[in-house]
Amino acid sequence: MSLLIHRFVSDRVARPSAIGWQLLLVAAAAGGLSGVGFAVDSAVGIERKLGHALASGAVHAGFLAMGWVLAFQARAGWSGPALRETSALIVASVVSRLSPAGAIAYLFIPLVVARDAAGWPTRLERIGWRWPREGRATLIGAASGVCLGLHLLFAASLMLGYHVEMPEARRYLAAVAYDIGANALTAEWLFRGAIFSALWRRWSFWPAAVASTALSLIRYLFDPALPQTAELIAGAMFYTLLLGLGSCALRAWSGSLLPGYLATVLFFAAYRVLLV
Amino acid sequence: MIYAALGLVALIAVAMRAAGVEQMPALQNLYLIPVLWAAFARGTLGGILAGLEAGLVQSLSIFPFIERVGLSWPALGGVLSLSTPFSLGLMVGRLVDRSRGRDAQLDALLSIQRSLADSASLADRLNAVAELTRAALGVDRVRLVLETGHDASVAASAPTNFRPAELTPSAGATPCRRLVLGLDAGQGPVGALIIERDGDISATTRGLANALALHLSLALENARLTERQRHFAQELEEKVAGATRRLRELDQAKNEFLSVASHELRTPLTALQGFSELLLTRDVPPDRARRYLGHLQTESQRLGRIVGDLLDLSRIESGRGPTLQRVSVDLCAIIEANIEIFASQHPRHQFEWKVGTTLPPLCADRDAVDRILKNLLSNAIKYSPRGGRVRVEAGSATDRPEMVEFTVEDDGVGIPADALPRIFDPYVRIANPETAAAPGLGLGLSLVRGLAHAHGGSVEVESLPGKGSRFRVLLPR
Repeated sequence: MSLLIHRFVSDRVARPSAIGWQLLLVAAAAGGLSGVGFAVDSAVGIERKLGHALASGAVHAGFLAMGWVLAFQARAGWSGPALRETSALIVASVVSRLSPAGAIAYLFIPLVVARDAAGWPTRLERIGWRWPREGRATLIGAASGVCLGLHLLFAASLMLGYHVEMPEARRYLAAVAYDIGANALTAEWLFRGAIFSALWRRWSFWPAAVASTALSLIRYLFDPALPQTAELIAGAMFYTLLLGLGSCALRAWSGSLLPGYLATVLFFAAYRVLLV
Repeated sequence: MIYAALGLVALIAVAMRAAGVEQMPALQNLYLIPVLWAAFARGTLGGILAGLEAGLVQSLSIFPFIERVGLSWPALGGVLSLSTPFSLGLMVGRLVDRSRGRDAQLDALLSIQRSLADSASLADRLNAVAELTRAALGVDRVRLVLETGHDASVAASAPTNFRPAELTPSAGATPCRRLVLGLDAGQGPVGALIIERDGDISATTRGLANALALHLSLALENARLTERQRHFAQELEEKVAGATRRLRELDQAKNEFLSVASHELRTPLTALQGFSELLLTRDVPPDRARRYLGHLQTESQRLGRIVGDLLDLSRIESGRGPTLQRVSVDLCAIIEANIEIFASQHPRHQFEWKVGTTLPPLCADRDAVDRILKNLLSNAIKYSPRGGRVRVEAGSATDRPEMVEFTVEDDGVGIPADALPRIFDPYVRIANPETAAAPGLGLGLSLVRGLAHAHGGSVEVESLPGKGSRFRVLLPR
C-alpha cells in the first residue's frame, strides 16, 4: 500500500555533532567567564565579590545560550540573542551585588528574552515559548508553586525547627527578582524548554521528564549558593524533583513554559523566606 | 469525587497530627484509602494526585525523622513509606485506566460493527467508524484507508479534513505522534489505520489500537464480503431480469412471427386455392385462364421466396450458411435489372442509380447479390409509403479499397436510433404507424446481413427518423 511506504522523516535532532560543538563552546565560554570572576575575586580581593557576580551572571547566561543553541538546532541566529542576554545578565548580577536595589535589573531580563524571542516565534514555539493552550494552566502552575512553597515552610518550621520570619524587605525582594530574572527563568528555559522539549520529541513523556529533571538536580547540586548540609541538600533534591517533574507535566499539558515558570518563581519566593 | 479524596487525605493528616500518631507506620496505611479511592474514581491522574498529596503530607513527619536518625535503614523505610501512596496510586490508576480502556474498546467494537452493518454507503460507514475509533482511543486524528481493489481505495477521516500526506516532524510546542497500523484479516492487507495524537501515545493506547485494528480488519473484511455478496446478488438479479425480459421479447417475437408468417403464407395460398378452384370448377375463357395462371405463378413464386428466405435464415442461424457459387458478377447489370423491375411495379417512387466509372469486377454469388439488392430495394419502398426518391449507387469502397460497395438510400420514415442495433436481428420489425400494414416477416435485413457475412463482407446503416435511411453493403472483390 502506497500509504505504508511514505517517506518517514523522523523527528530527530538535526546535526547533533554541530549542536554538541556549539554547546561545548557555550559551556567553555561560561566556564571561562566564571573562572575569570573567581580568579579576580581571589587575586584582587574585592570586598563586594564582583567577580562572583560575574561568575553567577555567566552561568545563567550560559544556560540561556544553551537553550538558544538547542532551540535553533545549531542553525545560525542564536548568537546575537545569547550575547545580548549574557551582557544583560552580567550587568544585572553585578549591579545587584552593588546594591539590593540594583536587583531590579533582573526584572528586565525576561523582557530582553521576550524581545529576542519575538523574532523567532516558530522556532521557539518548539521549546514552549508561547502562551498556554488553556488559561487555567497558569492558575494551576501558580497553585502548584504556592502549595510546594507552603509545604516547604511547614516542613521547615513545624517539623525541622527552622525559624521562619519575614526577612528584610529589600533583600527579600532582591532575591525574588534574582529568581524571576535568572534562577527560574534560566532553569525553565533550558531544562523544561530546550532539553525536555528535545527529549520529548524523541522519547515519551516520562523518560524525557526524568532525564531533564535529573539534569536540573545536578545543576542545583553544584549551586554554590545552596547550603551544603545533608538535610538541606536532601530537601532541595526532594523539592527540585517535584518541581521539575511538575513543570514538565505543566509544559506538556499546556504547551507553554509559563505555568512551570510561575510554579518555580512562587516556590522560590517561599524558599527565600526561609533562607535569606 | 477526586476533591473528596484529596480532602480525606488532608483530614487524615490533621487527625493523625492532632492525635500525635503521625509517625506510626501502621496508621500511615490509612492514606492508602483515599489514594485508592481517587485512583478508582479518576484513574492514573487521580492516583498520582492523591498519592502525591499523601506523600507530601507524610513528608512533614518523615523528614524530621530522617534528620533525627540520619542516613540509616529506618530512614530508608521512611522514604519507602513516603513513596508508597504515590506508587500505589500510580499503579492502581494505570490498571483502572487499562480496564476502562478495555471497556471502551468493547463498546467501540460493538458500535463499529453496528456502523459497518449499516445500510449507508461505504464512505459514510467508514466516516462513522473513524469517529468512533477516535473517541475510543482518545486520540486527536484518525484516518482509515481501505483498498477496494484495482488500485482503488476509499478513505475516511476524523476530523474530516485530516489528510496525512507525508510523515513530517511537528513544528508546534507539542510533538505529534503518529501510529500507522496495517489492517490485515489474514488474507493480505485490506487497508490502514492511522492515528495521530499531540503528545504521547501511551502503551495502553497502542495496545488498544492494535487490538482495534485487528477487530476492525475482520469487521471490514466481513463488511466487504457482505458488500460484494450484495453486489453479486444485485448483479444476478439484473441478469435474471434481463434474461427474463429477453425471453419475453423472444416469446413476443415468436408470436408476432407466427401471426405474420401465417398471414404471409395464407395470402398466396388463398390466391393459389382460389384461382386453381376457379380453373377446375368453371369454364374459364382461355385469355382469362392465362391471366389466372399468371397469378398462380406469381403467388407460387412469392410463396417459394418466403419459404426460401426462411430456409436460408435457418441455415445461417444454425451456422451452416448459404451455399455460395462465386462467379464474376456484373453488378451494374443486376442493379439495372432490379431498378427496371421495381420502377415498373412502383410508379409512385422515383428511382435513381449511379455506378462509378471504376467499378471493379466482383466475384460473388450472383443470386445472393441479387437477393441482397432486392431485399434492400423492397425495404426502401416498403418504408417509404408516401413515395419518394430511391437511390442506388455502386463503386469501389473509398475507405476500404479491397471492397466493392453498393448503397440503397431512401427518403422514408427512417429508423429510431434506439432500434438500429436490433434491425438486423431476425423477426424484428420496427413499429411505425405508417408502415404497420406493410407485409413482411422481419427476415429481409437479417438475410442481407447473413449473405454479406457469408461473402466476408458487411452491412452498415445510417438513418434519421423522418428523413430516411441509407444501407451500405460491402463485398470483397
